[in-house]
Amino acid sequence: MQSATTVRRASEPFLLDQLRAYGPILGMILILVVFAILKPAFLSVANIGNVLHQSSILIIMSFGLAVVMAMRGVDLSIAQIADAAGLLAAVLLLHGQPLWIVFTLPIAFGLFAGLVNGLLVAYAGVPAIIGTLGMMFVIRSGELLMTNGAEPQILFTLPRGLTRNFFFVGQGSIGPFSALVLLGVVVFIAMMVVTRLTTFARRARAVGGNARAAYLAGINIRAVFAGGFVLAGLLASIAGVALVSRTSIAVPRGAEPYLLDAFAAVYLGTLLSRRGDITIWGTLLGGLFITFLSNGLTLLGLGAPYRFALNGGFILLAMAIGALKRNH
Amino acid sequence: MSIASSAAASAAPIRMAVECRSIRKAFPGVLALDDVSLSIRQGEIHALLGQNGAGKSTLVKVLTGVYQPEEGRIFIDGKEVRLRDVREAEANGIAIVHQDQPLIAQFDVTSNALLGNELVRIGGLLDRKAMRSRVQEALDRVQADFSPDTLVRDLSVAQRAQVSIAAALLRNPTALILDEPTASLSDKEAERLFGIIRALRSQGVTIIYISHYLDEVLNLVDRISVLRDGKLVATVSVSEVARSDLVRMIVGRDVSQLYPKEKVAIGAPLLEVRGLTLGSTLHGIDLTVRRGEILGIAGLVGAGRSELALTLVGALTRDSGTVTIDGKPSNPADPRIAKEHGFALIPEDRRHEGLIADLAVRENLTLPNISRWARFGLLNWRAEAAAARELVTRLDIQPPSIKPQIRNLSGGNQQKVVVGRWLTGESRVFLFDEPTTGVDVGSKIEIYRQMVELARSGAAVIFISSDFEEISAMCDRTMVMQKGRISKVIEDQREATPEALLFWASGSAESEKAERAEAEDANTEKASSRSVAKRALSRWGTVIGMLLVVGAIAALAPQFVAPGNIFDVLKQGSVLAFIALGLTVVLIAGGFDMSAGAASQFAANIAAGTLLSGFGSVAAIALGGAFGFVIGAINAGLVLVLRIPAFVATLGMMFVIMGATLLFNGGQALTLSNMPGFFFLGQGYVGPVPFVFILLVAFTLGLHVVLKKTRLGLRMYAVGQNAAAAALRGVGQSRYAFASFALGGLVLGLAGVVLAAYSYGASAMATGIDFLISALAATFLGSTISRAGELDVIGTVIAAIFLASLSNGLILMGVSNQALPGIQGIVLVLSILLGLSRKRGIGQVLIF
Repeated sequence: MQSATTVRRASEPFLLDQLRAYGPILGMILILVVFAILKPAFLSVANIGNVLHQSSILIIMSFGLAVVMAMRGVDLSIAQIADAAGLLAAVLLLHGQPLWIVFTLPIAFGLFAGLVNGLLVAYAGVPAIIGTLGMMFVIRSGELLMTNGAEPQILFTLPRGLTRNFFFVGQGSIGPFSALVLLGVVVFIAMMVVTRLTTFARRARAVGGNARAAYLAGINIRAVFAGGFVLAGLLASIAGVALVSRTSIAVPRGAEPYLLDAFAAVYLGTLLSRRGDITIWGTLLGGLFITFLSNGLTLLGLGAPYRFALNGGFILLAMAIGALKRNH
Repeated sequence: MSIASSAAASAAPIRMAVECRSIRKAFPGVLALDDVSLSIRQGEIHALLGQNGAGKSTLVKVLTGVYQPEEGRIFIDGKEVRLRDVREAEANGIAIVHQDQPLIAQFDVTSNALLGNELVRIGGLLDRKAMRSRVQEALDRVQADFSPDTLVRDLSVAQRAQVSIAAALLRNPTALILDEPTASLSDKEAERLFGIIRALRSQGVTIIYISHYLDEVLNLVDRISVLRDGKLVATVSVSEVARSDLVRMIVGRDVSQLYPKEKVAIGAPLLEVRGLTLGSTLHGIDLTVRRGEILGIAGLVGAGRSELALTLVGALTRDSGTVTIDGKPSNPADPRIAKEHGFALIPEDRRHEGLIADLAVRENLTLPNISRWARFGLLNWRAEAAAARELVTRLDIQPPSIKPQIRNLSGGNQQKVVVGRWLTGESRVFLFDEPTTGVDVGSKIEIYRQMVELARSGAAVIFISSDFEEISAMCDRTMVMQKGRISKVIEDQREATPEALLFWASGSAESEKAERAEAEDANTEKASSRSVAKRALSRWGTVIGMLLVVGAIAALAPQFVAPGNIFDVLKQGSVLAFIALGLTVVLIAGGFDMSAGAASQFAANIAAGTLLSGFGSVAAIALGGAFGFVIGAINAGLVLVLRIPAFVATLGMMFVIMGATLLFNGGQALTLSNMPGFFFLGQGYVGPVPFVFILLVAFTLGLHVVLKKTRLGLRMYAVGQNAAAAALRGVGQSRYAFASFALGGLVLGLAGVVLAAYSYGASAMATGIDFLISALAATFLGSTISRAGELDVIGTVIAAIFLASLSNGLILMGVSNQALPGIQGIVLVLSILLGLSRKRGIGQVLIF
């Protein structure tokens, strides 16, 4: 059976094979071209720079989700972790805490939330959907209680001297590059290393591929699986702090829409790999596409409803195409 | 036998229940059945014997319509038949009881036995009474000592076998196939089963009996057919054949393979196992393996061989016994620690337990010892690749590359990779569990050669196999395992001929039998008394917990129990309960539904919009319900047609619906006013009782009837709980999963209408996921109330009302309502933890 399919695949027309491999990316480019034709401003350097700047936050968050999902987990709490981390940073800043605390405490929180997720899911065996959904709501309640019912934490009214260094992450630039884009690049490189060159990556791929076999091969599957959630929590909290640094305001629940975008980024990313795997590269491009898409929609005057519907539709489309690929 | 002689005397031919003529079935590279002709007489017990791979299971699959033969004809009751699928075989009177037949654990015996053949009255209502009495009859025929109302999960393995046989008898089969029915039974249980089978024969049932155990067969059956290498060796009457003849017929004398056995210096004992015991599968195993020695463990399926290997590496937790490696005690908690102790396991089921099919040869080869090529967690890519390449050469893996995905390799080369991954570490004790099944001859020799190499390097090798020829040829010493014990130790390998091994492995050890049975009885009794308290707690724990919480609330906030407040709680809880009801229905057979809350909200908007446009309440209700139904149907299509996992499909759908909702209401709240008729749905009172609660109760009872009292509901539960078991009974997944999604969608839509009536319109915010968590919490908490721990609409409603009481009580006690979502999240996780009676694996999710 297996050899038969290989043979058939090899003898397929070249064009069809190429289309299958590159079709999705062509489709994505096509959509962006349509935007460019409808709104020439879409391709202006300023707009592209703006989109790259915005996309960093989504992409950083999506990387964490990608790692978890590659192990057949799912983390519904990442957006909420990002939200709470950003909020925490804002509150700390408003209370005049030193900068290093403003940065490290929210990230420690992200690690902790990820750890609790990991313990629930990998050690207690709670299905990932349920465990992280529960976490999402616990964090949300915490945020609401902390801010006395979702009061925005406004930072841009603070004296400039207090906030300059904090805002650098989201608003500053190093040479011609925005600091946020550079942060995205650094995280991207780090994640490439983590997911390719580490023993964790190998073990994680084994857990995602066949957890039972990995277990019998002497892999500590619980620790590896939990590790993914810790990483996701870490990346989400970095993204959350960066978001507040960019927008100068922390609105409780403001980061929640990122959850949908992150899912769309990861699932779209699978289309870009030949075998439909979840990869960091794919997630990067998926995240860029999603941000370009929402930017284009905004330029066309189409708001949140279209974003929701299109992102949801893209997730379904990506899965449907993947299913066809595999059925074939 | 007498039948034969009388048939010969009279002219009337013997009636044949089943007859196969010249059946031929080939698979790529293997001729599985080669011109097999055999006849099963009416009313006899006919045994099919043969080694693994002899063609028994292929023949059974041909008879049950799973495989279609390339050539040959099949006659049942004298008529020629074509068996194109399982249903057709069943309609023609072939019933089979599989080895460890899957049953639906949460169902009672009646539902299990008649699933797929339910007795119904008008309207699809189950005729429980008639079903029960028919099942009782069938249970009497198999001498069952339990009631048809018992839950299958509360039955022992032997009792489950009785249920399976009773279920097969209910179809009045022409021939009943029993596939290895005693493999998981104790001797005493097996003895009882034989009594049942003999009784069935005296009732005129024709039985085809498949087993490895010769003693069983000789005591039980009338005639025996032996298969070997896809050919029928002979059909003999049991009175005409001696045990030793059978052994010879089964083993035969194949073209002898080359076995690369070499004499290797054997050193001091390395692995010593004393009194290893595991539940009822391993009883006091003692063994010693020396350095340089290959110890064979011969045994049949179910003998406990794999369990022995898994227990040694800590994948199963032993009850007692000691293991030492090189004198150091070893009691690993999991295979990772076992690896550090020096164990290496080549598991029996290569595909599911050995390979990581999606990964490359290289990644599979270096997996267990990956940290050898890493510093501070960072891989030395080049050194690791070199090590993998070296292994590929050393094992002669084809194609000679480390790059291909391992799924594209042949079985033999895959197995070489599984062996090869242990050659780089510090492993000293190698457990080969059936390493040569499904492996070509060339790779077999390579695997044998590796065993010899390992032995030469001073390792201890345990070679587990049911291929007695290879055990005989490759090992230095052999132990025969049977039903969890070492039944024979053969010190002089020259005595370990295939015939001798089969002889020892297939017999029932006569000694100790009584003593063992007694011990087992004592064990079960002890276990059951211990579990009574535990059972009661897991059965009533949730209810007790809920009562305690409500009691605490009442004590701390006395205003909670004021009648006015109680009715308020019921009203508040009802809307949530409606959504949870819909979700429960979807979850029963549909998998998962992320879009439930969003669907209800969308329906609320549709209903509000319809009313605002001047159409009446009836139109609003109809449209709301219709949209819910359509969403459910689309979800079903995504999951069932495109085969997208339910989680992703409904996640995508959730966002599509949220977008649609915002497009529909333009980001504005749709506020209704002056519609007392419509508002009555959500806000009205009948006397002191909120109307919405009355509606809820009526709805719940209606759904309860549909789900618990009709054929549709029974099958929905069956599909949701064990799709494989349902499929064996001809209950296909698609129809009932669709029903689950569509019916659930309808309820969610109507819940949206109630929501609109309750909140005087529809809110603008897309709050779908907020509803979802409350509904999930209610659903899963509710499932822990029901007897079988299954999803249950009544449980869901009770849990939803409890959650509303909890929220209400906490607010009365001065807790901020901002804490409520978090508390619901915690309740959700806790209710799942409560349901996870024992530690499962890791919480992986089907996301692709």
